[in-house]
Amino acid sequence: MRAVVKDGIGIFSPQGFLDGNNGSLFLSIEDIEATKKLNADMLLVSLKKVIFFNKNGLDSFVKILLKVRAANHATVGFCDFDHKKFLSICKFYENDLNFSLFKTQEIASLFASSFKNQQKNVLLYSEDKSQRAAMAIELHDNGHNPIVAQSEEEFNEKSKVKTAYDIIIDNTYLGVMGQKVATRVTGNAIIYTVSAFLDAEIGNTFNIAYHNNSLNVGFRLFIFDAYKVVSMNVHALNFFSKLASSGAEYNATICFVGLTFEKTPLAFKETLEDAGIVFFNHMDDILKNKELLEELGASSAATVKNKRVLNKAIVTELPNFIDATVATIEMMTNSSASKETAQVNKLEILQKENKIASSIGFYGDIDGMVILVFPFAIAKKACTLLIGEETDDKEQILDTLAELVNIVGGKIKTLLADENISVNITLPRTYSEIDSLLEVSHDKKGVQVDLKFDDDRFLFFLTR
Amino acid sequence: MITTQILNSYIDRIPPAPQALRETLQLLDIGDLTKAAKVASGDLALASYLKNLMNKSIYGFRNEVSDISQIFGILGVSGSQQAVYNYMISLLSPKKWQLFKLNATAFGNLQAELSVNWKKILTHLNINDKDIESSITLLPASIIVSEALFSEKINDVNLLRSASAIDLNTILKRLCGLDLFDICEKVSQKWEMKESVAKIVQASSGLKAQGDESIDQLGKWMHLLLFYTLSKPVFIEAGLNDFIDFQVDYVMDIYDDFNNVIGVS
Repeated sequence: MRAVVKDGIGIFSPQGFLDGNNGSLFLSIEDIEATKKLNADMLLVSLKKVIFFNKNGLDSFVKILLKVRAANHATVGFCDFDHKKFLSICKFYENDLNFSLFKTQEIASLFASSFKNQQKNVLLYSEDKSQRAAMAIELHDNGHNPIVAQSEEEFNEKSKVKTAYDIIIDNTYLGVMGQKVATRVTGNAIIYTVSAFLDAEIGNTFNIAYHNNSLNVGFRLFIFDAYKVVSMNVHALNFFSKLASSGAEYNATICFVGLTFEKTPLAFKETLEDAGIVFFNHMDDILKNKELLEELGASSAATVKNKRVLNKAIVTELPNFIDATVATIEMMTNSSASKETAQVNKLEILQKENKIASSIGFYGDIDGMVILVFPFAIAKKACTLLIGEETDDKEQILDTLAELVNIVGGKIKTLLADENISVNITLPRTYSEIDSLLEVSHDKKGVQVDLKFDDDRFLFFLTR
Repeated sequence: MITTQILNSYIDRIPPAPQALRETLQLLDIGDLTKAAKVASGDLALASYLKNLMNKSIYGFRNEVSDISQIFGILGVSGSQQAVYNYMISLLSPKKWQLFKLNATAFGNLQAELSVNWKKILTHLNINDKDIESSITLLPASIIVSEALFSEKINDVNLLRSASAIDLNTILKRLCGLDLFDICEKVSQKWEMKESVAKIVQASSGLKAQGDESIDQLGKWMHLLLFYTLSKPVFIEAGLNDFIDFQVDYVMDIYDDFNNVIGVS
């Protein structure tokens, strides 16, 4: 059984009866290895379709999840259960509950290091006072607004006003959380939250692929929320210096906010400043200062000075990229897709209205980004297999388009692997407005290909 | 991936039931076990299947049972009819399984497990109807159909399912407008099985209530029995656990009864 990963959360979905005889069989060694490679921030087993489980059955999954956590620093646990199942799990692992329990996947997503689902008003309650505090801290760190009910009565009273909260949390338990650096997006800036003692581990817990993808798709301002950092050693210093140097190619700015130098040598600050890192005392010093934001590059992605250009290696593989896209569209629509015209140019979209787009980056032996631009109605048609029911919900269609582009990315990876070219793919990104896409791809040259399936046209753009 | 043409072509290729089987079933239908056994003995493949079936450990016979009339005598009219239908379904199975890690023995074990437990359920429900008893035999056809349609698309299916938690039944329905259970119904029509058989199997999808309380109730039991069986280690290893979606809410009201009947601890 393979995990389905969405927004950095990998979900296993066993079905039926889960006991000691079958628990270990849901995941083969290949599944576990594939799971490790997913690099998910969070790895959960959904109990939504499990009607019966016992401790032995859960133990099999727990053992595997803990192994993955040790290797990947991901948060692991179970999700999608009712109150009865929650109580059973708590009872089974009374003194040894070192994984997390999330009532739903939506609740889990609030605690993931993902960049989605931010600034939610969250009502939360747990019988355990320390759990209430831990959840509130994690939620706050992830950019949400937690409201903690101090008693069950207060929780029941407050939760009656459902419209007052985006999400209500109960039947949830935070075990040992993953140590991935939490990431959130504010406007055009990306905020990473780091804490405690920073050492060589930062190289493992920081999602460098995500960072590089963010650079590729046009983010220019990266802020490290370092209020809770106690100190850092020379390994962390080197890491941040290198990060700043590699970002310079993109004209990116890296800032530290709230970092004190009581226990960190002051010389480190000078070294980091030499590497181009800027220090601020408070987050609002940056986020509420529009002029400064503009100066730091967060107002627009158009300030790129050093543009990366298409190279021979990537253009040579163009047929693979187009084949992957065509094959995916054919698979999803059961119709035949074909290439119309191709040209090397800056991305040109004549009519921007009612169009949506999605992009996916790839890195490894070659690197670049594929962008697909669809008229809204055509995107809906292309995603019919994944969406299922008739919908005009733009957010759902964008989410599904991200899944489609993810499949295109998977195909690209397979086709390139056949030619001994190894690449990994990034998380897909979607654009509800074409202007935000153009801001990212502004001035970038690439190969633009008009594709069509049935009589519906959409646009493919390959760039670096 | 799977087009309507591919699907129609598959349905067209389902062979009619062989003459010997039809004759055996007709004789069983009128309760003539002796003549039915005689006709069945003349079909060597059927005879061999019945012997193998009866000697599976789940039936618990100490000594080998090899005579067809003896087998039919043990099984009775409804059990014999069920065994013949199981054989007919097995005729559709591929020589080599690709999508699922199965073989003829494992598939036979699946049929036997379903049949034996279905019998327990019907006894609990006080139902003594040979057609209802035989309805369980059609259920594994959904697995054979999945294998036939998706085995050449394994890579596409895996890629699709790596991005979205979508089961084979849903993929087929969204692409072609027919699902696995619709095709099972077409198999049953081609083989002139009773209409109620197909209706119970449709209800057992957990997605299509048939508007008949007793049939829908049997559909629930069958749905839960299927997932109980597909949770067995051998069938998880075969990759069968998630080929269709388990509708937990659909079966919640019979869950406790089911545990008592089947003996889930």
